[in-house]
Amino acid sequence: MPYDPPNDPDQLRTWLLGAARHDARAFHALYVATSPKLFGFALRILRKHELAEEALQDAFVSIWHAAGTYQASLAAPMTWMAAIVRNRALDILRRADSTPDVDLARFDAEVMNNIEDSGAGPADTLQASAEARALAACMAALERAHRQAIGLAFFHDLSHTEVAQQLALPVGTVKTWIRRGLAKLKTCLTREGL
Amino acid sequence: MNIRDNPELRDRLAAEYALGTLKGGARRRFEGWLHADAALRMLVQQWNERLVPLGELSPHRAPRARVWRAIERRLHLEPPPKRWQFWHRDPLQWWRTLGLTGTAAATALALVLLLQRPATQVDTVAALTDERAQAALLVTADHRNGVIAVRVLGQTAVPDERTLQLWAITQQGTPRSLGVLDDKGSAQLPLNDRALGSDVAMLAVSLEPKGGSPNPNAPTGPVLYKGSWVRLL
Repeated sequence: MPYDPPNDPDQLRTWLLGAARHDARAFHALYVATSPKLFGFALRILRKHELAEEALQDAFVSIWHAAGTYQASLAAPMTWMAAIVRNRALDILRRADSTPDVDLARFDAEVMNNIEDSGAGPADTLQASAEARALAACMAALERAHRQAIGLAFFHDLSHTEVAQQLALPVGTVKTWIRRGLAKLKTCLTREGL
Repeated sequence: MNIRDNPELRDRLAAEYALGTLKGGARRRFEGWLHADAALRMLVQQWNERLVPLGELSPHRAPRARVWRAIERRLHLEPPPKRWQFWHRDPLQWWRTLGLTGTAAATALALVLLLQRPATQVDTVAALTDERAQAALLVTADHRNGVIAVRVLGQTAVPDERTLQLWAITQQGTPRSLGVLDDKGSAQLPLNDRALGSDVAMLAVSLEPKGGSPNPNAPTGPVLYKGSWVRLL
């Protein structure tokens, strides 16, 4: 197995600065270090390999061109890149899509368990950024149903009504859960200093 | 509805916008407010910073090698020499340099931030590519200053006696002229919903007679470059 460097934010920032100077080597190093995480994210949203590859490709082309505008004071490098991947993946999802393709059991197995286990530290979580670890800890502190509603909306781009359909619950209940869950997350993350 | 004086509602809507549950008309209305309200954009950005790291908690998957090759091709990058992989062979060496480069990078970064104080804040970009999927033009949008800037990348040529014209193509497929590029292939255009509205599916650049398309509502020449907006955070 190749050595997998941890996503050290200082290192990622250095590579981003390199990409801003159009240093292809730094950009490649950035790609090698972050693409498994970012591709996993794109694949989680889009489900289809071809579409996730398209999203990752477009995102890295944008990252290369926009690296000079990255402002370290505004966002962690991993968050900045993940936002670009997410925005692109959601655009592709909206273009391709009509009905949401949600496999609840698989979503629970792949995402919810990962969040809940974050304290125990499976390999993927250990490599997560400080921001992601703090978020996982705060998500894990929510009631499971609130956590699931927020996770479904985030990864599948669902409306309140669509989340309610997936969970077979009244839309009012889901709305309240998401609202409360988000408020608790904010309080928890502020306490974590993020 | 005026939401300026309702901090609780502003924060809630920003959270639901970032999460994605705000949809349809409500989402478009919110985006309308965002254009004119820097504090509201900041709230959205804070919520993005809180929520986007969720993405890192998906199972990691290595993309196929062809993805990098395609990126390389689109950006005209030279294949990197093998040397950069030194830390693959010797993980310890990589660790040893880490502290040093980290500190140096942080210093360099602080300097850059201090010296540059960027007057522009690009928040959305589109790399327009030719038929071989190579990036040819870069379009950047800066909401703070309300401008869209276009510039050429690499060796993209602007033919003499012709004009390149930028179009927004709506989801219904209707072209909307955003303006013409100068002889160097650059332009500064006002940022508005015509260019960046939620109904814009893609951007395209057509080759037109000198001065631009005689038809204000459609290109007359071939479309040379196209691409989509990508929001940064």
